[in-house]
Amino acid sequence: MAKNRPYKILSRIIEIKPGEKNISLLLFFYFFLIMAPYYIIKPVRDAQYLIVKGSKELPIAYLLTALIMGFFVAFYSKLQIKVQRHVLIISSLIFFIVTCFLFGLLFRKGLPWMPLVFWIWANIFIVVLVTQFWILVNDIFNPREAKRLIGFFGSGGILGGVFGGLLTGFLGFNFSDYLLFIATGILIISVFIVNYIFIWQRKRISTEDRAEKKDDENKEGAPKVGFKDCFDTVRRNYYLKLLAAVVTITFVVSTLIDWQYKSVIDIKIHANDKTTFFGYFHAAMLVFPFFVQLLMTSSLIKRFGIRFAIMVYPLILLICSLGIAAYPSLIFAVIIKGSDKSLSFSLNQSVRELLYIPISSEFKYKAKIFIDMFLNRFAKGIGALILLIFIIFHLDWQVRVQVVSAIIVVFILAWAFLNLKVSKEYTNTVKQKLEMKWERADRLVAEKMDLDYTKLVFDTLESKNRSSVLYAMHLFDLIKQDKLTSEVKKLISYKSDEVRVSSLGALFEGGETSLGPETDDYISEEVLEKEVKEIMSLDVYQKVMEDYFEKVLVDESKEAETAKMEAAKAIGMMESHSPLAQKLEEFLRDESPEVSRYAIESAARLRKREHVPALIQKLHSPFTREDASAALEKYGSRVTGTLADYLGDSEEDIELRKGAASVLARIGTQEAADFLTWVLTEDKGDIDIELIDALDRIRSERPDVQFQEGIVTTKIAELIKKHFHILIDFYDSKLMEKKQKMSENLPKDLTVSLMNIFKLLGLIYPHEDINKAYQNIKTGTKESMAYAVELLDNTLQKEIKDVIFPLVEELSLEERVKRCRGLLKGFPIL
Amino acid sequence: MEINAREKSNVIIFDIEGEIRRSDLTDVTLHQLVKDQLDDGKRNILLNFRNVEFIDSFGVGEILASYISTHNLGGKLKIAKISKKLYIIFQVTMLTKVFEIFDDEDMALDSYFKD
Repeated sequence: MAKNRPYKILSRIIEIKPGEKNISLLLFFYFFLIMAPYYIIKPVRDAQYLIVKGSKELPIAYLLTALIMGFFVAFYSKLQIKVQRHVLIISSLIFFIVTCFLFGLLFRKGLPWMPLVFWIWANIFIVVLVTQFWILVNDIFNPREAKRLIGFFGSGGILGGVFGGLLTGFLGFNFSDYLLFIATGILIISVFIVNYIFIWQRKRISTEDRAEKKDDENKEGAPKVGFKDCFDTVRRNYYLKLLAAVVTITFVVSTLIDWQYKSVIDIKIHANDKTTFFGYFHAAMLVFPFFVQLLMTSSLIKRFGIRFAIMVYPLILLICSLGIAAYPSLIFAVIIKGSDKSLSFSLNQSVRELLYIPISSEFKYKAKIFIDMFLNRFAKGIGALILLIFIIFHLDWQVRVQVVSAIIVVFILAWAFLNLKVSKEYTNTVKQKLEMKWERADRLVAEKMDLDYTKLVFDTLESKNRSSVLYAMHLFDLIKQDKLTSEVKKLISYKSDEVRVSSLGALFEGGETSLGPETDDYISEEVLEKEVKEIMSLDVYQKVMEDYFEKVLVDESKEAETAKMEAAKAIGMMESHSPLAQKLEEFLRDESPEVSRYAIESAARLRKREHVPALIQKLHSPFTREDASAALEKYGSRVTGTLADYLGDSEEDIELRKGAASVLARIGTQEAADFLTWVLTEDKGDIDIELIDALDRIRSERPDVQFQEGIVTTKIAELIKKHFHILIDFYDSKLMEKKQKMSENLPKDLTVSLMNIFKLLGLIYPHEDINKAYQNIKTGTKESMAYAVELLDNTLQKEIKDVIFPLVEELSLEERVKRCRGLLKGFPIL
Repeated sequence: MEINAREKSNVIIFDIEGEIRRSDLTDVTLHQLVKDQLDDGKRNILLNFRNVEFIDSFGVGEILASYISTHNLGGKLKIAKISKKLYIIFQVTMLTKVFEIFDDEDMALDSYFKD
């Protein structure tokens, strides 16, 4: 489908995916067709102004532009609410086509006010058309798509600039008025391209998306927003405020650099050569960024991330400013202007547009109008105000250039600082786009309910029909824990005719529904507890009961099971040093899961070290595992070493080892985490799933626990390598149409493997961020998957990103396998 | 206890019959059966309690373990047709805070669709 020739050629230059070819080309030409006329208009504007007014009056032009731009943006922001986007863009193009043609006619008359008016018009032209272009790009792509393709669209604009600049340089000063007619002609073509883009967009939006889009548009269109609303949107949002500050400083610096450069040109270049010089200069200065944009911007951003890319532009300008301060000359003027121009239209523009993408569309358009249309011109006004001092104080041009350089350096330092904040806030904004789809359920259950109490209620009810002694003991437990609430009493009295409660139970069951202490036989909970404790600690009680316990233990009849259960439970109510407590070991070994369950519960109460091996053995059976785990958890850090011994012994029963991992996770201390991590590195991998899950549980419940980054990273690398091999096997088996069974299991293995990789990543990176990313990659929409990958891009170290991305990025199986094979050849040491 | 699994509208329904208790052991536990379905990539599980007479604390442990395993993989485990008595017990023990419980199977199935 996508194997046609243009796609093949395009995909060699840029990372373009099937289905993106047409829109990429359309946007490339759209940007070309608005930048080409601008680079015809711009040299004409600069030359006319410098010839008629001179460089000294440039601050006046900057200031007036800023002022008028304020009014214009207020008007435009109202217009964009009332008019649909495609109508607005096409109408704007038609407006500039007509006015450009009129300027072409008026230039012939040589009117004195013309250079200033034309200057302001040209600024409005570029601001409106470029902002509209990027808003459209923002509408169409998510951050991952934009990162891949932004270099390509941007290069369209730069190529347009080169074309316009060269044309102007070639035709020169004498053809200024004709140049504007050529610009008019190019703009007319752009109208058709824009129309095609909207036709493409309408076709792409599925019925479902359209409904969503309609909602968005309604949301957008409902409130009556104007300039103030645009301003308030930026003012109320920290991220947008940072962006606004960065843009302001960028344009102040750019204005100062432009003035430095033009001051030198005004002195060094003859009046009649100015249009030609500006034309060729602009063209030449765009050839370099064209290649930067086409070949480097996307790969630079993808490879090093936004955090690095955002710093390149200010740092290069800082070096250039220091250069021109040291040697104020034509060469340095050209270098600093060239650097500013080439980077602002390539890397900086692309990065800035990427920074807008995670902002919700409701805010984005308002913010773009305020920042990109008003604030950048306003910043030029600030730059102009700074430059006004040079109109007041008459300084030598070289001194002026040096003083401006010093001011630029101060601004760049502030800019770099703000950039660091912006990149951090960008990651936070991406995070906000993702929702946590589920929490670890064990934590959820622990937070929402008291498991011990739940079990006790069920046991009480269960024992009601089985044994009045057990029932009484459970009631006693409920009283001790102050949990015999009216609801529980009501519940227990349900069908109370089924059971005849004697002895202790009768104290609470005064009637059919009354279990509470309202009866005359009321005994306070404290007294009851004290009496039971005292009775059980009597030597005579211990002696008498010993015979009974002996008899029960040797009785193998079915009826004896209940008696054993009662005895096992009773031991838990005694002191740990009492003689009868020594019998617990035998009850723990009982084959009946009912008996051993009560023995486990008693062991948990007594917490005697000698019972630990027996409890650990109970982890083997699914029928006693949960009770044994809960009991061992109650021992806490006292048993972590013993559990670790079992866990680390590869000869030990595997179910028992899995159970030990789970208990260590429940204990959740630093020591438990260290043991689990140690076994993870030493083990053969038989219980990796349980070990990693245990570590993940500790991470989610105990944020203070630290994990050894080196060990975890090594394990991540091992799992990724394994994942690559599974994926390649899956692909090969599919190709060969054999090993049907193998390929059936492989998707399962891939799912588990990817889950484990992310659980490990969550140990050494922000747990919530990694969880969000994983959950959205697994179950999110195309959009949220892209944001999830973007979050990883801004969170993970480069070495890990390089090997994780082939697993999570939206790729065909063939492409994914190809990348995995490539990475396996020289798998990086993480 | 007898457990039968069937699939309807992309939901695995476990029809449970009898009592989920320690003393009524079967070869495979409910949790193991749920895990098998999760391993097969199923994520929507419904426990049909229409014929469940009683659950002991072991049974609660099994249901909770099944819930945790399902939920940790991004799935949903819900309960349908629970008896009045069991529902009261679930309320008292706050299990209703954790589980989504439905009066009948169709309502439960609809809820997966809405999710």
